[in-house]
Amino acid sequence: MTTPADTTRMPALPRDGAGIRRLGGVARDRARATLRSASDISLVVYALVLGGGLGLASADYATSGGYPFGGVTVGPWTAWPRAGAVGADPYTRAVNARRGEIPLGVGEGLLITAAQDDEGRVLDAGCTYSVAGVTPPARAWTLTVAGRGARPNGASSLREAFTSTEILREADGTFVITLAPQAQPGNWMPMPRPSGPVRLALRLYDTPVAASAGTLDRSALPAIRRNGCRT
Amino acid sequence: MTPRGRVLLATVCGLVIAGLVHIAAVLLIPRVSETDALARARTAESLDHAMRIHTLATGDTPPAAEAWLPVPDPAVAVGLCAYDLSEGPLRVAARTGPLMMSMAVHGRRGAFYAVTDQAALRGSLDLVVLTRRQFDEALANEDENEVSRDVRIVATDRQGFVVVRVIAELPSQRAAANEAVQAVSCTVDTGSEETKPGG
Repeated sequence: MTTPADTTRMPALPRDGAGIRRLGGVARDRARATLRSASDISLVVYALVLGGGLGLASADYATSGGYPFGGVTVGPWTAWPRAGAVGADPYTRAVNARRGEIPLGVGEGLLITAAQDDEGRVLDAGCTYSVAGVTPPARAWTLTVAGRGARPNGASSLREAFTSTEILREADGTFVITLAPQAQPGNWMPMPRPSGPVRLALRLYDTPVAASAGTLDRSALPAIRRNGCRT
Repeated sequence: MTPRGRVLLATVCGLVIAGLVHIAAVLLIPRVSETDALARARTAESLDHAMRIHTLATGDTPPAAEAWLPVPDPAVAVGLCAYDLSEGPLRVAARTGPLMMSMAVHGRRGAFYAVTDQAALRGSLDLVVLTRRQFDEALANEDENEVSRDVRIVATDRQGFVVVRVIAELPSQRAAANEAVQAVSCTVDTGSEETKPGG
């Protein structure tokens, strides 16, 4: 629907567009002139700066934080069988070197981490989770919860890990660990921090699974269920 | 070549350089890092026992401040012995107890050997890390009437470290785990010791 006001304003638009086009043309001409006068040396410098900057930035991005490759995903869990092996990929070795990490060797044990629950939602410190089921065969295992980054200063958690010996089990040998901000009956693991994402780390010590992590079955690892969240 | 073509060529060259720089940086990080386990282990090379790098909290005693592992296992005490095989083979001797213990030998490229206390003979676990040449020498000098109980490991690199982990499955075992790590001895094997009777 056009009103008289619109029709009077219409002719003004092309004039504005032409102005912009003219300005753009001037800029393009100026850029073209700069390019034409750009010497070989400045182009070489441009290529080197671009290459150096992009290369270093991408290398830093790929090796900060967790291991980029080499994980075996089983449901919400990811096993890292090659993290400490001689055949570890260069990225894993760089990550270990930057963090000062001493990964478990293949004959020593296996690290399995989880950052999400069974439905794929990120584990949050404000929620209550139950980690239930069995673990792959191992002489001993520990289940640890940690937040990302450094621990808040001076805060010491009541408990940050369960070991296979400490845990209270059901009659059939399975267990349920309740991960919650508030105290719970049974195997209660307090949240390490008031809010933010958390990670679970299951470390199996002296386990035959380390050599064949690819065959790990979903039912061999505990399920992570979210029971509710603090609103 | 048109100016635009030259800029395009320069950009493509830049991207290729970026790829090369990326690969070189990732490969170089473990070599030049000063915060990795090997570099830190070498600062305590002269010790004749394992350097404790993760001491478990016992009772009111909090974990020691020297801990630098990013996300340590709170139930596992960790000790470290750095080796430099140009000084001679490294002998790591541990007494196994009721606690589960594992040892891993790391070179520059990762752990190439790991053993747990189940491999111990009569309560003792002796690892000797040596180079190929030192291994041949040890074989040649061996007394046939004497059975060696050492586990001999040929190292891939001259420099590396041995990690000792002792697992305290109950909080009451933590003090014992710390002591077990402290009790591991790491000594440079000299030739005279190698031929010593009963050694």
